[in-house]
Amino acid sequence: MDQKTISQEILLRMVKSFVKNEVAPYDMEIDHTRSYVNDLLAKVRQNDFLSLMLPKEYGGAGFDGRTTAKVINEIAKGNASLAVTLEGHFKSIDQIVKYGNDELKNEYLPQAKNRIVAFSMTEPSGGSNPMGINSHAEKHGDKWIINGDKIMITNGGLAEIYCVLVKTAPTELSIFVVDNEMEGFEYGKQENFLGLTGVPVGEIVMNNIEVDDSHLLGKVGMGKEIGDSAHDDARVLMGAVLTGIMEHELDLVTDYATHRKAIDTPIIQMQGIQRKVADIAISKETTKLLYQKAAWMKDHGQDYEEEAAMAKAYGSRSAVKAGDDSLQILGGYGYSLDYPIEHLIRDARAMEIAEGTVEKMRTAIALKEAESRA
Amino acid sequence: MKIVVGIKQVPETTNVKINEKTKNIDRRGINGVINQYDRHALEAAFEIKAKTNAEVIVMTMGPDDFVVSLQEALALGADSAVLLSDRAFAGADTLATGYVLSKAIQKINDVDLVILGQQSVDADTGQMGPIVAEFLDISQVTYASKIDIADGALHIKRYLETVEQDITAKLPLLLTVTDQANDPKYVNVVEITKSFEKPVITWHATDLNLDDDRVGQAGSPSIVRSISSPKAVAKDNHKLADNPQDAADELVKILKEKNILMEDK
Amino acid sequence: MELLKENWIFAEVDLNKVNPITYQLITKMNQISNLPVTVVLIESTSENLEDEIKEYGPDKIIIIKNDQLAQGNDLEMTNALDTLIEKTGRPNSFVFAATVVGRSLAPRLQARLRTGLTADCLDLHFEDDNTLIQTKPSYGDNIMCEIVVPNHRPQMATVRSNVFEAKKLNNPMLKVINITNLKVISDRQLTISSKTLPQENAESINDAKRIVAVGRGDKTEENLTNAKRLADKLHAVIGVTRPLTDLEEFNINDQIGQSGQSVSPDILINLGISGAVQYTAGISNAKTIVSANTDKDAPIFEYSDYYFVGNAEEFSKALEKVLQ
Ligand SMILES: Cc1cc2nc3c(=O)[nH]c(=O)nc-3n(C[C@H](O)[C@H](O)[C@H](O)COP(=O)(O)OP(=O)(O)OC[C@H]3O[C@@H](n4cnc5c(N)ncnc54)[C@H](O)[C@@H]3O)c2cc1C
Ligand SMILES: Cc1cc2nc3c(=O)[nH]c(=O)nc-3n(C[C@H](O)[C@H](O)[C@H](O)COP(=O)(O)OP(=O)(O)OC[C@H]3O[C@@H](n4cnc5c(N)ncnc54)[C@H](O)[C@@H]3O)c2cc1C
Repeated sequence: MDQKTISQEILLRMVKSFVKNEVAPYDMEIDHTRSYVNDLLAKVRQNDFLSLMLPKEYGGAGFDGRTTAKVINEIAKGNASLAVTLEGHFKSIDQIVKYGNDELKNEYLPQAKNRIVAFSMTEPSGGSNPMGINSHAEKHGDKWIINGDKIMITNGGLAEIYCVLVKTAPTELSIFVVDNEMEGFEYGKQENFLGLTGVPVGEIVMNNIEVDDSHLLGKVGMGKEIGDSAHDDARVLMGAVLTGIMEHELDLVTDYATHRKAIDTPIIQMQGIQRKVADIAISKETTKLLYQKAAWMKDHGQDYEEEAAMAKAYGSRSAVKAGDDSLQILGGYGYSLDYPIEHLIRDARAMEIAEGTVEKMRTAIALKEAESRA
Repeated sequence: MKIVVGIKQVPETTNVKINEKTKNIDRRGINGVINQYDRHALEAAFEIKAKTNAEVIVMTMGPDDFVVSLQEALALGADSAVLLSDRAFAGADTLATGYVLSKAIQKINDVDLVILGQQSVDADTGQMGPIVAEFLDISQVTYASKIDIADGALHIKRYLETVEQDITAKLPLLLTVTDQANDPKYVNVVEITKSFEKPVITWHATDLNLDDDRVGQAGSPSIVRSISSPKAVAKDNHKLADNPQDAADELVKILKEKNILMEDK
Repeated sequence: MELLKENWIFAEVDLNKVNPITYQLITKMNQISNLPVTVVLIESTSENLEDEIKEYGPDKIIIIKNDQLAQGNDLEMTNALDTLIEKTGRPNSFVFAATVVGRSLAPRLQARLRTGLTADCLDLHFEDDNTLIQTKPSYGDNIMCEIVVPNHRPQMATVRSNVFEAKKLNNPMLKVINITNLKVISDRQLTISSKTLPQENAESINDAKRIVAVGRGDKTEENLTNAKRLADKLHAVIGVTRPLTDLEEFNINDQIGQSGQSVSPDILINLGISGAVQYTAGISNAKTIVSANTDKDAPIFEYSDYYFVGNAEEFSKALEKVLQ
């Protein structure tokens, strides 16, 4: 067995037992209290989950895209919020690794071991349309002065380092890296979202934050490209989150349907129930194959934009539908706030919107299909 | 000070079934993990290491894929690992396994402390500890529930059915530990990568100066004649007498006979 | 080595008390053995535990009275048993209790004698030529194995408590042999001090060995007072169904079931509990279950080893009285 296979197996063993003991038992409580109870984040840091895919030269464990996605999948089985918090961190690290200059990487990547990194594009004036944003950076000598307001940031308020999309000219988008210790950096209001309630989603306000040139990711004008790249990386991992949610649903419905009897027969023997259970299983497996393929392509340097979009577009709708079917199988219990199904639907529903709406992803998929035949 | 910790890789779940066709245990799709009690054995060694700077050597006898568990133990904090692997070891029962382990421990030389888990969760025998202690000709303390080291001696708490023991033990010693002894840590994500800098040695039968008829199947007195699924023990559903007093008398009589209410005799 | 045509049982003594598994082993061996059944007893010089052991009718008791051995050092006892066997010859089989003591001593002796040992047996029987067929669980009781030791003697086994019944039996043929001159080779590595554990009431239902659980059918103040008195008598902990957590004194830590705690007591007594799936989800690891309910079709009865159809409070009061 080679080193890589052994490492992956040790990691997945650990993750499974961590999820079983530290995450899954708190799933409902995390949802209800809208926070990571049981010192979960401290445990996540202590075991260096934040450095999972961080390259070794920056003190990380350097696991590849597929392994990272599998870990996210396992965690999501226990609690989707925690998986999304990590997804937000990882996709941000990915962009600093890909586009940061050496000075920026040496400054921030070693810190990413303990400090969560976030990626912020959305503003009150623009979400799906990045050109609608108002934040801007102006060059003063060898410094940039950044002003603006970013909202709905995954891990906003929790993260300490932010990649922010700003205008460097009226039609020119660029991305800078700022952190919460800089003068002029402020946390704003937290969102009150329907699902993934463990994930803090919030606002940051930038008032004349001054940064060096080195804090520019890539070059001026590369904002859209880097934003798209962050989306791609996020979508692969969201496919993994959605797979985890459907696995959680399958665990619940198969257990219930084998034990619940209608008169004398367990309801799993009934065709109406079987059809739902089978459909959930098919959706789960399809989403899994999609995200694993996208992750494999990423690891092999291929263009994975379309596959990543498919994993999220297909996975999110399927998981919502699977949740609805699961709710129906559990009947009154499914509809109860004392059972986890309802929050799994709310959690999955977030991913039809975040990291690019399903509509935008379909646009991307359709155009790719056309392009590849042109 | 040198500590050897014996570990075993076991299926991640004990919820296994018998394959109808092969009549053997169906292990398809079941991954291996370090035997849960052995995590406590490792943690006990690490706690002693933290106080005494001991060297911790982790050892297993088994097929090559047990190396994953050895590597995991290195990531958890062991200093080096020894894999005992040879076709000749196949089919070993506890006696033959204990013989090979003890020979390997002797080869390491100057081992002060051997720590094992109280039992493995698959075979469930708990025999390895006493067997290895006997073949090494050293004292043993099994089922240790609390372990401390001070002035070169171990201070151990051990619980029998209704008895608590405080034991002071001088080294060399063999210890088996319960899951009460400590709280094992999770492997740190970054340490996994770093652990590959530590040595993993493989010893085959020829490295160990073994008596051929004491290893593998030949050296195993026990033979597993057959395996089966346990019959589901349906509850008795015994209806007690209609009158509450008669019912109570009847119940207490039965419970005493079955030793469920022992000390109330 | 000479063979001895006997089947041996090691008497487990926990400080000055014979563990009842010893009696269970004698009764079982008497039922299955064609050869004489011998009990080996190690006790301190001030004890006469053979008087109790006799009542279960073994053919022979070998007594080693020795204060040092009675301290229970595995190595010293191995040395003693090994010396004894050297004198007597190897018995056909030698069975121990699958307790901490038995599971520590037997394998050490096994290694000394280089024979086979089967742990934690749930059943034993002999095949015609005195071959001991040993049935043991593995994989956490999910698989049963039949194990034999064809070519080595003694055939050794440890056996779980309470799988066999103990029955008193008068055996007029009983022989008692005192071994007095046994040399004890002592283990200077260990100092052991033992004390009997006080029988404490467990703090929480999670680790309680005995639980009295009350449900909506037994929830008035008076009912509860009686249930608690029964619990005290049994050294048991009180558990409740979910509806009772509405009462001031109970909360989720006392609640058994899916959204409460999973319990694994040796004995669980259900008073006025219907047996909803969310409740029974928490009791699947309880060993012996007793239930009292007025409804003769209460679902809880299906999960029960023993059940009483009638008023739970009356039952609990009667039970308390019998236990006086
Ligand atoms: C279903 C089944 C039932 C069996 N029943 C019996 C039986 O009744 N009698 C019998 O003699 N054999 C039996 N065997 C064979 C037995 O499993 C092997 O001899 C076995 O590998 C040895 O130990 P154990 O798992 O019983 O160890 P245990 O004595 O239960 O383990 C105690 C500790 O010893 C250490 N240890 C165990 N194995 C190793 C190893 N290979 N390398 C390093 N350290 C180790 C670990 O720390 C472990 O926690 C059975 C096997 C199976 C699969
Ligand atoms: C999401 C969810 C989670 C839940 N989790 C749990 C849980 O963890 N634990 C739990 O307990 N419940 C749980 N429940 C509630 C569960 O469904 C039942 O409502 C509850 O277990 C019933 O409690 P009970 O048996 O005490 O009451 P009942 O069902 O009302 O039963 C009372 C019984 O007492 C009998 N009775 C009445 N008078 C007497 C008398 N004088 N003597 C003897 N018998 C008498 C009746 O015949 C009846 O069988 C959960 C429910 C949901 C929806």
